[in-house]
Amino acid sequence: MIEVRGLVKRYGRLTAVDGVDLDARPGEVLALLGPNGAGKSTTIKIATGLIRPSAGHVRVAGFDVAREPVAAKAALGYVPDRPYLYPKLTGRELLRFLGRLRGVSGAEARAEAWLSRFGLLEVQNERIEAYSHGMRQKLTFCAALLHDPEVLVIDEPMVGLDPRAALEVRRLMRERAEAGRTVLLTTHQIDVAQETADRVVLMDRGRVAAQGTLSELRQRVGSADARLESIFLTLTEEQAATHDPPPSHDRPSTP
Amino acid sequence: MRLTALRNAVAHQPLRHLIAAALVAAAGWGILAATRRGVRFVDGFPAIGTIADAVLQRSLEGLFAVLMLGVAFSVLTGAIATLYASHDLPLLLGLPLPPERVFALKTAELFAQGALVPALLTAPALIGLGLERSAPAMYYPAAALALIALYALPVALGAALALGLMRIAPAGRVQELATAANVVLAAGLVVGLRALRPERLSAATPEQFEAFLVGFARLEVGWAPPAWASQATWAALDGRLSAGLVVLAATALASLFVVSRMAAWAYRVGWIRALDTVRARRDPTSRPAAAWERPLARLGPVGAVWIKDLRSVARDPTQWSQLLVLVALAAVYLLSTGSLEVEGQRFRDALGTLNLAFLAFLMIGIGVRVAFPLVSLEGEGWWMVRTGPLPVRQLVAAKLAQALPPMLALGVGIGAGAALSMDLSPALAAASPWAGAAAALVASGLGVGLGAAWPRFDAASPNEVPLSPGGLAYMGTGLAWALGQTAILAWPAWQVLGGGSVGGVDAAAVWATPGGRWAIGLALAWTAAFTIVPLLLGTARLARWEPGD
Repeated sequence: MIEVRGLVKRYGRLTAVDGVDLDARPGEVLALLGPNGAGKSTTIKIATGLIRPSAGHVRVAGFDVAREPVAAKAALGYVPDRPYLYPKLTGRELLRFLGRLRGVSGAEARAEAWLSRFGLLEVQNERIEAYSHGMRQKLTFCAALLHDPEVLVIDEPMVGLDPRAALEVRRLMRERAEAGRTVLLTTHQIDVAQETADRVVLMDRGRVAAQGTLSELRQRVGSADARLESIFLTLTEEQAATHDPPPSHDRPSTP
Repeated sequence: MRLTALRNAVAHQPLRHLIAAALVAAAGWGILAATRRGVRFVDGFPAIGTIADAVLQRSLEGLFAVLMLGVAFSVLTGAIATLYASHDLPLLLGLPLPPERVFALKTAELFAQGALVPALLTAPALIGLGLERSAPAMYYPAAALALIALYALPVALGAALALGLMRIAPAGRVQELATAANVVLAAGLVVGLRALRPERLSAATPEQFEAFLVGFARLEVGWAPPAWASQATWAALDGRLSAGLVVLAATALASLFVVSRMAAWAYRVGWIRALDTVRARRDPTSRPAAAWERPLARLGPVGAVWIKDLRSVARDPTQWSQLLVLVALAAVYLLSTGSLEVEGQRFRDALGTLNLAFLAFLMIGIGVRVAFPLVSLEGEGWWMVRTGPLPVRQLVAAKLAQALPPMLALGVGIGAGAALSMDLSPALAAASPWAGAAAALVASGLGVGLGAAWPRFDAASPNEVPLSPGGLAYMGTGLAWALGQTAILAWPAWQVLGGGSVGGVDAAAVWATPGGRWAIGLALAWTAAFTIVPLLLGTARLARWEPGD
């Protein structure tokens, strides 16, 4: 599971994440939903240990990411929004490298299975520099799942994927949750959140505007059949009215 | 648009640009002063008055030729990047503009990129010549025109070669091939120039030197562009406008026009193909790991990083071609030590003792290419290592393990080779490889450590990585170590030469004295400190590194 408490990230005078609290529990898909610059990717980068928080903490599978990074990262699989991989390695070699890095037993068979599931077996012996964006994104999923992580963190999962692969990723997220794993994803695509997430955290300007299941959020806006889109707009407008002037801006996202 | 970008860059980092401008101005002033002094020297050399002009003209041609070659070498990769792979090209070609105009703009941009630095280096020399010869006012614009026209020719040649390379290079490999070709040519040129042993001139008698100058003055190659530029400059010194200048300017303009049109045509008809994505072959066979990987894989995560990096380096010509530069540097060093003509074993040994320290300077220079970029070569794939359960100290250890074998081979090899070529006494000959090993150790530890402390994961090639505050820190700290090592080893050298309390004994005896043992101990401690401390610093800083640092 992931536990985020009092998370703050400042870049000089700019506050990208401003006191975020959230929990992603075992057996659920939690979606961070918000517009560009809401602080979603920054939250995820702190959760994966790519950047350090200015205040607060993140625990992954019970381990503090800042204080026990090796143990926390052993339980984590991460798919970034931009699939930068080692271009001179082949797809197979990349998975072999990550298998060795993480000490995965039976890595070869697992790699074979994931490559097969994402339709990459045919190009497994080609260098990654020859892959299309979508192929790289699929390979990143294979890499993140190779060690069967307790927690899967995905930043904008559908970027660059063809419809078939997008459907596969949706299924995959549900499968992970049903197997008792935790999935945390960020997206600005409301339909992705609505279709795959058990719970949704609405973020705006670095803060949590609301969180809960779809029915809980509907109750909050007082409309039993409201779509997530209208819930999101209502709640973020409420937050904007409460916090004027805008308190934060996000940084350009980095891998 | 370009000027706005430049203005924004200056406004964003004014101090950095001010320092760069000051450095360029200082270099220009130095070239100007050196040229004036050189002209006065040639004019005042005994019995040379009649050929002084010819000697100066040939020297100017030589300068033009060397810088022209420099432009030709560097412009090939620039031509590919600017004419065919620049990020703004799709935007510009999407505008309602004729492609010919777009490529004319890109050719002008390439010319500015390729010729600016050589022109800035040559202009002070021409101004110095004009001032020393009291040139008329028309000399300065005429010389400037000759200069600009001259450097346009290699730019046009490079653009034409790039076009050919774009056609014949395997898909997706054109930049790598161009970089590798440049590195190989540059390394060959350096070794070739060094093999001429120009230092022999300093030992020549006045008669021999005069004979050399007479021969040099006769080396006229009238048909070559540097000679046209030199003749045009010389005519302008006398207030004449040479026909050669008109021919040169017309040729330059025509060449740039033709290559810009060729580029536009090639782009439009799809003649170029080397920027295409590499074709992915359909080979679903699942192969096991290569046999050579298995022993390394037993080392765990360190071995995994090592295997990954070995594969990446072997498949990237921009990386493995750096090894050729190292071989060239080693060859230059050995040629230089081999050309020293010192009489007497004692003097050879004294020089050999100092050579142990000079090795340090050489290895620090090599380390900036080999060890310093290793962490940064993780590149944009850094997130994979960062989000994996690999402690930073293990990553740094893996990088150190990669740097050490080639650095030790070079350090020990050069140390042993220099000892042989200098004909040192047995004790020094035995110490020389050890000194090379110590230098390799420091260059590796310092390079990997400071490279980890100030990584550049966004660098486009290994050459770019040291162009950073971390690179400057590496060079500064490395030179401090080398200077310290030289100071420590100067004491035994002084004893061998006959100074000090135990003066006049052979090298082996000096090392055996208490002072010699102290020197060895101090050198070892100095070396250990400069190896270990940077590694610790690098590990600590890399653990806290995040994008934007």
